[in-house]
Amino acid sequence: MHAHKENHDFEPKIIAFVCTWCTYAGADLAGTSRMQYPANTRVVKFPCTGRIDPVFILRAFQKGADGVLVSGCHPGDCHYMAGNFHARRRFAAFRALLDFIGVDLQRLQFSWVSAAEGGKWVEVATELTERVRALGPMREFKELEAEEQWSGVIDTPELQEAYNNIP
Amino acid sequence: MPKTITEQNLRLLIDTLVKEGTRVVGPRAAGTMTLYEPLATGEELHLGELPRRSAKEAFFPLCETILTYEKDKEGVKVSDIDPARFPETVLIGARPCDVAAAPVLDAVFSWDFKDEFFLERRRKTTIIGLACTKADDACFCTAVGLSPSDTKGSDLFLTPLKDGGYRCDVVTEKGEALLSAHAGLFADGTGEPLPLAEPTLGKLDLEKIRNWLDSHFEDPLWEEIAQRCAGCGACAFLCPACHCFDIVDEGGEQKGARRKSWDACGFGKFTGHASGHNPRDVQPQRYRNRIMHKFKYYHDKFGQRLCTGCGRCIRACPVGIDIAAVLEEINNK
Amino acid sequence: MTNSAQTIDPALYAAVTDAVRAEARKVLESGAVAAVVGWQAGRRAGTAMPTIVTDPAKAADLIFSPACVNNLALYLTKAKKEVRGKGKIAIVAKGCDLKALVGLMGENQLKREELHIIGVVCAGVQGAAADRSLPLSEATIAGKCRECTVHTPENTDVTVGTLTELPHFTPTESAELARLEAMTPAERWSFWKEHFSRCIRCYACRQVCPFCYCEQCLCDRNRPQAVETTPRPAGNMAWHIVRAMHLAGRCAGCAECERACPMDIPLNLLNRKMARELKELYGHEAGFKPKEKGPLAEYREDDDQSFIK
Repeated sequence: MHAHKENHDFEPKIIAFVCTWCTYAGADLAGTSRMQYPANTRVVKFPCTGRIDPVFILRAFQKGADGVLVSGCHPGDCHYMAGNFHARRRFAAFRALLDFIGVDLQRLQFSWVSAAEGGKWVEVATELTERVRALGPMREFKELEAEEQWSGVIDTPELQEAYNNIP
Repeated sequence: MPKTITEQNLRLLIDTLVKEGTRVVGPRAAGTMTLYEPLATGEELHLGELPRRSAKEAFFPLCETILTYEKDKEGVKVSDIDPARFPETVLIGARPCDVAAAPVLDAVFSWDFKDEFFLERRRKTTIIGLACTKADDACFCTAVGLSPSDTKGSDLFLTPLKDGGYRCDVVTEKGEALLSAHAGLFADGTGEPLPLAEPTLGKLDLEKIRNWLDSHFEDPLWEEIAQRCAGCGACAFLCPACHCFDIVDEGGEQKGARRKSWDACGFGKFTGHASGHNPRDVQPQRYRNRIMHKFKYYHDKFGQRLCTGCGRCIRACPVGIDIAAVLEEINNK
Repeated sequence: MTNSAQTIDPALYAAVTDAVRAEARKVLESGAVAAVVGWQAGRRAGTAMPTIVTDPAKAADLIFSPACVNNLALYLTKAKKEVRGKGKIAIVAKGCDLKALVGLMGENQLKREELHIIGVVCAGVQGAAADRSLPLSEATIAGKCRECTVHTPENTDVTVGTLTELPHFTPTESAELARLEAMTPAERWSFWKEHFSRCIRCYACRQVCPFCYCEQCLCDRNRPQAVETTPRPAGNMAWHIVRAMHLAGRCAGCAECERACPMDIPLNLLNRKMARELKELYGHEAGFKPKEKGPLAEYREDDDQSFIK
């Protein structure tokens, strides 16, 4: 099936938060149409982009994502009328905040992919995966996760090793 | 025989200890403030002002892991933290108001349950106290029975001298051991000490305060003081004697850790029950607990009080609650 | 420099104090309000603390001085039910505090008719590390006051005090914001990482914020856990990102979070940054007139989506 699978040094973890009505169906279409795209994307399905709290994006990065994709219905197509309009503002604000904190926005992609756009899904997922692959692993949050307050640090060579092994 | 150590040798002592692999914790400039932090070199010792956070961190960490778990094919593997891995520590340049809290805390951590996390860190910590020569208007150590030259809790005690350098008094065997291991850095003799700090608040009758607390669990005073309390933990977290902690599990299905971190009785959630009931459901009740615990309950149980008069809670309180003013008010009743 | 005065005349505050006391006595005696939320002097010279006065005789305890830093709007939120339960409340408010009241009204947390607002003309309050024995000057004034545009609160029930010509202060916050914006993302990350790592999770920032009135904070939840509650660098970073996000479009810039922070984290920079972004994107500014919907609770079909593929 995957005749052209290439071997890369680094396979980024991409988390995709998608709405069930449009993008999930679009991704499904890509699959049933046997379109090929990198297997790095883990899809998490929500009822609507309006349900995707910015804290989910943050959590994904904290728990090891190298890139995050958020995708839903095109404006005007929301199953719940305006969920994606609200989400659009929220994501615009959250992007600005992450940028100000110092997170590289190239790792975060938003898109509108309808149920009919299997091809666009492939394009968006591939582009983000390859871009993140070129950027390398997201070190920032992983390093933070491994850090302790000085007072809680104990002499643990194995933890130090794990820290050093963060790619 | 009294000993002295020069400023230069004090810093050299830190360098030597660090080279020997000891963790040396002392006041260090950290951004806009001074904090007790591990010193990389003697140069980093910054004795000019009272550190923002208390020295309790050296043996009561802000956050520490108490166990870890990991799931593999065979099942879940739980690993305890080995206290042998706690670092040997020298706490240097700590003020009497910080150091005096340590033996007070020993009482509760070695009471019905022996808290190895606390006790082992205490065992591994040698404390070099420093007489205090600078008080501000929030300081009130003298009002709660301490003094700027109190050696309580210290193993070695430094007193700044007029001509520079410090007199070094040996307080405990642990201190003696540290001093004799680095005897070359110390000289015999003494000198004239710098004048000590003079906190302005007069003496408080702590026994009278305890008696009043004994009979005033319900009193309008609590609401009067604490209706302004915002319910944060700044007072408790900066306090050298507050020692409440929370335990939480963090991580995921595959692996994670159980962690212990500071908690504060001022938080609404501190006494929250799973049912939703909260026995201390308004802020004045929480503030009352703070005062009661410090000046009555702990004394009833251990004969000591959980306040050294460092004044940190007064300086940090975002709504201006002043524990010294509260004690004064009770004292004058 | 437009004028010669380098310090702010303490007489300005003394006059406001007298007027606040008179107004408080009047509204308490007449029964127009059940309580007055204001400031009283602290034990230490040059300090003040919030107070809730119900007895007209105690109106004389009220003060206004450069030490009156607190945003008293905090005491009218549902986090402080006990105060609201007393009945109609009079509140002493600086211009910056008033913006929070306006925001709370917009969020249906307060009704204008249930409040008696005693606005105070304010030339500024002291900064956190200021020498309290000195009058307000470039060296002692709070950062937010250097760029204040609301010295005289509007739409109050009564406003006391008169503004004299003020010294010119060099802005520090906007300069710091510009400095951060000019950094690379990696530099900004290390700036915030250093600050947030110092956080001890005392939640003073949350507890003093008039807009953090949720009865159940997302960040206190553990099932599911959205943000780690332990004060490790990871959880601290997440907490401060969530805090800033939840205040975006709501924060009116009173900077209480930053003032209350015992670890001196420049939290208001985050708030200011978000306020400016939302102003640029959606033309919204918090705290000028009660609006039922904030910028993140409404939308326009033609909102910018240049960042969306």
